[in-house]
Amino acid sequence: MATIPARLAQATRPSTNAVEARQRVIQLYRDWYRSAPEIIEIYTLSVSPAHIRHTIRQKFEANRYVTDLRAIDVLLLKSRQDFQETMNCWKQPDHVVGILLKPTERPQKTFMQKFLEGRDEDAVLPAATGVV
Amino acid sequence: MSLLRACKQAYGLSRQTTPALSSSLRRFASSETPSPAAVEKVDSDIVPTHPDKDVLAADAISGAPEQLRHRVVRIYQPTRNTMQSGGAKTERWRVDFDILQGGGRWENPLMGWASSADYMQGTRMSFRSKEDAVHFAEKQGWDYYIQPATVKRIPPKNYAENYVYKPHKLRIARTK
Repeated sequence: MATIPARLAQATRPSTNAVEARQRVIQLYRDWYRSAPEIIEIYTLSVSPAHIRHTIRQKFEANRYVTDLRAIDVLLLKSRQDFQETMNCWKQPDHVVGILLKPTERPQKTFMQKFLEGRDEDAVLPAATGVV
Repeated sequence: MSLLRACKQAYGLSRQTTPALSSSLRRFASSETPSPAAVEKVDSDIVPTHPDKDVLAADAISGAPEQLRHRVVRIYQPTRNTMQSGGAKTERWRVDFDILQGGGRWENPLMGWASSADYMQGTRMSFRSKEDAVHFAEKQGWDYYIQPATVKRIPPKNYAENYVYKPHKLRIARTK
């Protein structure tokens, strides 16, 4: 699959106000949302488009309350780059499955399980301990 | 800390937009409000602390794991190495993370080595000033506390001191 390097590339520009930033975020979300079937096709994934949309939505929701315009601009830039890399097939399937679609939340534990383990709270534990 | 930041942000916003709101906020902050004149006087005395630099919230964009937001960092000046080292390193301000008390650490069952899953335990950052360190911690959204610097006391030492007459005090003959 030959790709044009400039495809889906966008010039970086700062948002002037919150309304414009919001519009750009919504446009980005829309792009991700619409491209879910194509992502599955490109990387031959065995998931549904709804699952991909759900994961993308979670990533947007995680930064829902960011109000700093500069931070929003950086997040937009990162996600745009991610989108371009995904849609131009510059990724391997593992990047999509293991990073883009990887669930971020940890398995729920009951109070008794936590008590018996006597460990630090999950919120504090480093992500890559391997003991969760 | 996050509440403090939110207050600062709110205060900064209100400062830009509505002075009336900001004054009401300040009035909220002071406990007793006897009369408007007194309030104004209190206002002039209590200087609202807002950051001089505009702090960019980097914790959302730095890519650092969000677990770090629940940790506490210590900002301190390291003490001098008591061997024959100079004191240059004690002028720096360091930032490091508190250790995890629970499952983040364990002992190797075979050899007894101390192990840790905490990837921040060996990480420390150096800054030229305390303000720089505080700014960095705020920018990253970390809770921090500042450990007060140790007061260096260099006792007076001279050779003649050993032979000065001091009444009612046992003389200790120092040979070094």
